[in-house]
Amino acid sequence: MTEKKKLGRNQKDTNDDMINLVDNLNREDDLKYNRRAFLKTAVGTSMALGVATIPFSVKAMLGFSEKESEKVEIARLSDLPKGESITFHYPTEKDPALLIHTVKGELKAYNNACTHLMCPVFYEKEKDVLLCPCHAGFFDVNNGHPVAGPPQRELPLIEIEVVNDIVYAVGRQYRHE
Amino acid sequence: MSKSACWTIIIISIIVNVIMLNRTVEAFYGREPEILLVYSGISLVSSFIALLTYFQWRKVEY
Repeated sequence: MTEKKKLGRNQKDTNDDMINLVDNLNREDDLKYNRRAFLKTAVGTSMALGVATIPFSVKAMLGFSEKESEKVEIARLSDLPKGESITFHYPTEKDPALLIHTVKGELKAYNNACTHLMCPVFYEKEKDVLLCPCHAGFFDVNNGHPVAGPPQRELPLIEIEVVNDIVYAVGRQYRHE
Repeated sequence: MSKSACWTIIIISIIVNVIMLNRTVEAFYGREPEILLVYSGISLVSSFIALLTYFQWRKVEY
């Protein structure tokens, strides 16, 4: 504030900023962005969120097209030592999966697209855990359920069978214990 | 119904719809069609309530 302005404070048409306190108000904005407009936008938001669920319902009612499970050879068990994992695709080429021979000697297989944002999930043998490095999501290697980070759903489980040292994928479960 | 009650119902409907949309998406990717339809139904009912509440608010406000 300048000294000149201060002196003119009580005069007519003064420019003193303590007198013209409403100069920063734009009349148009005041009419457009107000309490009533806020409530109308809130109702619109609520409606939009509700309508956004419809495409998912329609797709679900039409049915999820799951291909019949086939028996697919993954690898030879002797080629997969404890603490190692290999990538394969099941049930289609678009579904990457991970076969894990855990440090405890168990065989586990899951689709390895993270259930958060579909980043690939890797096996960390030092911690015996599945890790999604994108956003630090951790999954329990024993059941594929999320244990830390943003993922909320478990990894789809690939059912496996071992016959004559060969590991086969025989089916897939989306939700499992 | 008072104006503040209308405000409360509309804000609650937004909260419910955000949660239901999240759960609907999770149910969709988890391939659970039955539960998905329940969440979607709740969301649509909540939206409809918000719309009715808005009409009520408009009557009181103007």
